[in-house]
Amino acid sequence: MKKISALSLLTVAISAAAPAAQAGDLNINGFLSVGASMLDKNDAEIAGADNQGGFKQDTILGLQVSKQVNDSTSLTGQLVSRGSDNYSTEAAWAFVTYSANDELDLRMGRLRIPAFYYSDFLEVGYTYNSIRPAEEVYRIPFSSIDGVDLAQRFSSGDIDGTVQVYYGRYQGDFESNGTVYEADFRNVTGISVSANMGNFGSRLSYNQGELNLGSPAPTGTGLAVAQGSANGLAFLYGDSSAAEDFNISGQTSSFIEAALTYDDGTYSVLAEWTAFDHETSVLLDDQAWMVSAAMRMGEFTPHVRYSTQKDEFDSGVEGDIQKQFGLEADESSITLGLRYDYDSSTALKFEVQNHDEKTIGGADGDSVTLYSAAVDLVF
Amino acid sequence: MKKTQQMLIAILLSALSVLASAETAVIVAAGNGNGSMDSATISKIFLGKSKSFPDGSQAIAVDQADGNPAREAFNDKVLGKSGSQLKSYWSRLIFTGKGTPPKQYANDAAVKAAVAADPNTIGYIDAAAVDGSVKVVGKF
Repeated sequence: MKKISALSLLTVAISAAAPAAQAGDLNINGFLSVGASMLDKNDAEIAGADNQGGFKQDTILGLQVSKQVNDSTSLTGQLVSRGSDNYSTEAAWAFVTYSANDELDLRMGRLRIPAFYYSDFLEVGYTYNSIRPAEEVYRIPFSSIDGVDLAQRFSSGDIDGTVQVYYGRYQGDFESNGTVYEADFRNVTGISVSANMGNFGSRLSYNQGELNLGSPAPTGTGLAVAQGSANGLAFLYGDSSAAEDFNISGQTSSFIEAALTYDDGTYSVLAEWTAFDHETSVLLDDQAWMVSAAMRMGEFTPHVRYSTQKDEFDSGVEGDIQKQFGLEADESSITLGLRYDYDSSTALKFEVQNHDEKTIGGADGDSVTLYSAAVDLVF
Repeated sequence: MKKTQQMLIAILLSALSVLASAETAVIVAAGNGNGSMDSATISKIFLGKSKSFPDGSQAIAVDQADGNPAREAFNDKVLGKSGSQLKSYWSRLIFTGKGTPPKQYANDAAVKAAVAADPNTIGYIDAAAVDGSVKVVGKF
């Protein structure tokens, strides 16, 4: 029902918008990605694909309506429908922007967390070379919050950039090891700084939030079992106080990111490093990073990417207990791809990705190869 | 042999004349107080990174329609980006509500009329289409 109402709202919004669009002050933009992917075997998980092939996982439709209300205020709404989410439609963005001056914007509403280099345009496949961002690195299970942000642009000589701070709350689904929890992450806040100079760019972000899962976590699920067994194990290890470190509610998780980019028009490189630090010992800390390089030759852009993620145990008794859970992962991918710019708003992409799960769920994993093709459009 | 040479020269000359006529002039209204600008300054205005002229007055970029020869020349020589790269650049801004690309006009005449009518605008046209209604601030 929710899905239908969102879609019909969109239809109404568009049909209502159509006459105004001719007046010239209402902008309608959209993007569409249609993809097909297939794994050689089902021995590891990547991009939601399997060995039967499918057209659903990489298919995304987005529609955006924006309107300049007056000199300083504008409204933006973006509805996104994802095949990987059974095409349920969600407002990825819905905010009002107040421009205090040419360099300072205040936004309020539903906003994207600027945690990653690709965060702002995560779903607009047209804007990057690969079919999807590296799954090992782009692993925060939610991307939007309801809140406020402040963006200050700066420019000095050859350097220009943006400082963005945000604050808000996330209420929605949170998936951990295959179980979906109802989450209420409070005091989600952070800062991102990006700067460009000539062909070089850099970016840093720090983000944190307070975890609150529909508590107590449903019995029988991974986190509840882990919490329960942590109590018993802490007792066995003779350090009962360690059990408290496995509580979830009210605990803070933080995420840091650093990225470097280079693009001279022909060659481009992106390197991005990230790390999760969880106060609760139920979730494992980890680090993940990627490096990608591409060469533009007219309409053709071949590219290559290495991405990896590795969980880390806490020190002491907490770490010994974590090792009993069988939750840790250590995985990496090598992706080879080709982008072909069919025209100035359509790109065709082909990719082969070898995904290696050295450790998954605490045990030895397997290696699989994923074949994908996609068409990305902006309109 | 001589015929081949003559033909080659003719081809060369016609190629040169095409190149010469394809020179792009960046224009502002005749009454705009700004002098000539370098490609970096012009790029910043056309990429939405700067919203003012060197003299501090508001600057609004005026673009040509997709596929116009003047647009392709300008993108290549002044912005140094291909059509796809520019589309990517603007898509990243559009879908975050952080920017809107310059308004597009159908051809040289439409850009010239729009620029001549508003001292806050800046556009570009084929150098051969320049007349007294506008002022050239850069040729590329």
